[in-house]
Amino acid sequence: MATPARIEAADLSLVYRLPRDQTRSIQEFAIRLAKRQIRYEDLWALTGVSFSVRPGEVLAVVGPNGAGKSTLMKVVARVLSPTQGRIVVRGRVAPLIELGAGFHHDLTGYENLILYGSILGHHPDDLRAAAGEIAEWAGVTDFMDAPTRTYSSGMLSRLGFSVATWARPEVLLVDEVLSVGDETFRRRSTRRIKEMLGEGTSLLFVSHQMDSIRTLAHKVLWLDGGRAVMYGNTEEVLDAYLTAQDAIEAPITERQAVASQQA
Amino acid sequence: MTSGSLPTGLRIKRELIYDSGRAEPVLVTQLRNFWRYRRLIGLLVRRNVVARYKRSLLGVWWTLLNPLLTMIVMWLVFAHVFRLRAGVAGIPYVIYVLTGVIFLIFLQQGVDSVGSSVVLNAEILKKVYVPPEIFPLAAGIGIAINAFLSVLPLLVLQLALGVGVPWTLILVPIPLVAMLCFAVGYGMVIASVAIRFHDALDFNRVLVMLLGYLTPIFYPIAIVPGAVHQLIELNPVYYDLILFRNLVYGGSLSTWQPWVAAVGTGVIALTLGTAIFARSWRAAVARL
Repeated sequence: MATPARIEAADLSLVYRLPRDQTRSIQEFAIRLAKRQIRYEDLWALTGVSFSVRPGEVLAVVGPNGAGKSTLMKVVARVLSPTQGRIVVRGRVAPLIELGAGFHHDLTGYENLILYGSILGHHPDDLRAAAGEIAEWAGVTDFMDAPTRTYSSGMLSRLGFSVATWARPEVLLVDEVLSVGDETFRRRSTRRIKEMLGEGTSLLFVSHQMDSIRTLAHKVLWLDGGRAVMYGNTEEVLDAYLTAQDAIEAPITERQAVASQQA
Repeated sequence: MTSGSLPTGLRIKRELIYDSGRAEPVLVTQLRNFWRYRRLIGLLVRRNVVARYKRSLLGVWWTLLNPLLTMIVMWLVFAHVFRLRAGVAGIPYVIYVLTGVIFLIFLQQGVDSVGSSVVLNAEILKKVYVPPEIFPLAAGIGIAINAFLSVLPLLVLQLALGVGVPWTLILVPIPLVAMLCFAVGYGMVIASVAIRFHDALDFNRVLVMLLGYLTPIFYPIAIVPGAVHQLIELNPVYYDLILFRNLVYGGSLSTWQPWVAAVGTGVIALTLGTAIFARSWRAAVARL
C-alpha cells in the first residue's frame, strides 16, 4: 500500500478581501459607509497552486517578495483557509517561524515551555516529563525559572525550536529560521532537522539561500504573483529560476552602465 | 514507496489529519473544541491569572482588594454624600453595594478581557493553528475566578455585620456561570469586531458602563421611576444580579422567572456569540 502524502495541495487559491482605504476606527468606517465609500479590493495571494510532499521529503519554496510564500505557509499551518481548492495535511505541524514569538514574557521559561508546547498540541503531562530534556537541548536549563523577558533573542529561538521539534512532528514549516542565531545553533538545528527527515518528517521551507536549497530540497516550488511558475526537481527549477532572475537583472545593469557613461 | 520501507510511526491518527475540504459544522465544532482543548484552556486561564499579578507587590490579593476598594468608594459616595440608604430592606447598605460591585467588576472586566483576548493573542493565532474561540473562553473564566474569590470577603462582612450566610449560598455558582456565559458570548462579538477596528473595545467600554448603570448596583430598584424601571427589566444581566443577591445574603430562591431569564440569556448569548465569532473568523484572521 502506498503511503499517503503528508501534504497535498490541490488547486489552492486564496483571496484577501481588503478595503481599498485602510480604516482602523469605527467612526471612520461608519462615515465612509454612510457616504457609500467602502470599496474592496480582492487580492489573489495564491492562484491555483498544487503540490504534494511525502514523508521524509523536502520541498523548498522560492520566489520574490510578495509571491505568496508566507501565505502558502499559513495555509499549510491551517491558520488561513483556502478560498478555493483543497489542502490536506496528515499529522502534527510544527511551524518554525519567528521562534519564541508566542511566548508570554512575564512567565518563566518553564511556564512558557508548557504553554507553547500545549498550543502546539502536546499533552501538558508529556511536556512536564520532557521539560528537562527540552531545556537542556536549548541550553537554558539554569534559566528555566526566570521570566523569558530576561532571555536573549538567541535563548528564545533555541527554546522555541526545542519545544517545537522535541516530539518529532510530522510536518515542519520553516521560514528562513535557520538564518537566526549563531553558528552553533545553526549547526545543531540543521542536524536535528536532518535527523527528523531521516525519521520521516516532511519539511516545507521558504528560503532565498540557493545553496541550502540545493543541499536539502528534493523538490522546489517557484511562486510569483501567487501562481506556481514551476514545480519540479530541485536542479531544474532552480536553474530556470536563476536564469529568470538574471534576465530581470540584466537590463538594469545595462541601463546603469549607460547612465554611468553619460555621467 | 511502500509503507514497509518507511520508518515506523508513520501511521497518523485520524484526528491529526487536517482536510480543508471537510465541512465542519459551525457551532458544533466550536463547542466541541471547548471540551477537546480543555487542558490548554486551563493553562491559558492560569497564565492570565498568574501573568496579571506577576509584577505586583500584592499579587493575587488584588482580586480581593479590588472589589473591596471600589465598594468603599461607592459606599462613601452613595451612603454618605447622597444619603442613599432607603429602600434596601433589612440588610446593611454596604452589603448591597458590595454584591453589586462584585457583579459590576465581573461584567466590565469579563466583557473587556474576552473582547481583547483575540487581538492580544494574535502572535500565536497568526502562526499556529489553535481554535481561536478558546482564547475568549479562557479570558472569561479567568475573570469569573476573580468574581468567585471576591465573594469570600463579602461573606466575612456578612458574618461581621450579623447578616449571616444562608444555605442558598451553594447555588451562587449558577448565576455566576450564567453571567460568565453572557460575558463570553457578548465579548466574542466584540472580539470579532475588534480584529478589524481596534477602537471597538473603547466603544464597548461605554456600552458596558451604560449596561452597568442600568443595573441596580448601588441604588435600590424601588427608587427608580416607572419608565426606567421597564428599561432595567429589559437588561439581561439584571436577573443574574437578582439571583446573586437573593442567594448570597437573602436566603431566598426567588421565583422561577429570574432563573429562566438568567440561564436563558447566558445560553443564548454564548451560542450566538460563538456562532458570530466563528463565521467572521475566516475573513478576520487575515487582518490580525
